[in-house]
Amino acid sequence: MWCFILAELLVFGVFFLAYAFARTHDVELFNASQLELDRTSGFINTMLLISGSYFVVLAVDRIRHGHSRACTRWLIAAMACGAAFLVLKLVEFSGKIEAGISMSTNTFYMFYLGLGFFHFMHVVLGMVILGAVTLKAWRGGYRASDYAGVETGAAYWHMVDLVWIVLFPLIYLLN
Amino acid sequence: MKAATFNWLILMALTALSFGVAEAGVPGGAALVPVLLATLFKGRIVIDHFMALQGVGGAWRWVVLGWLLLVLGLIGYAFQYAQT
Repeated sequence: MWCFILAELLVFGVFFLAYAFARTHDVELFNASQLELDRTSGFINTMLLISGSYFVVLAVDRIRHGHSRACTRWLIAAMACGAAFLVLKLVEFSGKIEAGISMSTNTFYMFYLGLGFFHFMHVVLGMVILGAVTLKAWRGGYRASDYAGVETGAAYWHMVDLVWIVLFPLIYLLN
Repeated sequence: MKAATFNWLILMALTALSFGVAEAGVPGGAALVPVLLATLFKGRIVIDHFMALQGVGGAWRWVVLGWLLLVLGLIGYAFQYAQT
């Protein structure tokens, strides 16, 4: 899993740097387009992913002590945060699409929509992984002596969070 | 788990700080360093405490921390370069 996570980080890193250096060619366009974004939505989404990661940490701690039910509850809480993130992101994207904005509108929106959708799909995959882990935990499939699956799912979810922690200031805040 | 809760609160506070800096309309050049430093600190918390890589043997922690430092460093350079 860590090789997979590292590969994901490298891909996101290349996209982030492509955005940052593409911006140097047309700073005014990037700044003007960035002002059209819903910064508050990005802020709430950051809080949601951070909280989701925290709940996953609690889930790992609970299963480490053999508390399968409590682990399940924290995993469900983390997935609720992920689901809220996805809903907010869909609202954000649909608003842009209704305004006639697409990836071909300009270079900034190509990155905003491309990176946003790429990360969105990673949150979806993270939810699928956490869902599978939750189901197994709910069925009592993990024990204090055997919970590697929970840790693996947690590592992926934290990677999705880590990427968003860089993406949020890059796309929404810095100008 | 008190440490995890503390780290979660720090992450929330740093996010609010970065958001506040942007909302206050602090000019890009002045906002760049504090926002990137807050992001670096947040990333380190996730890597060391949430991913629990602190104290783990091997190079994994340094590879992931190196990724974060390299990406944020080059983003800072690109934004600084764009202002000149």
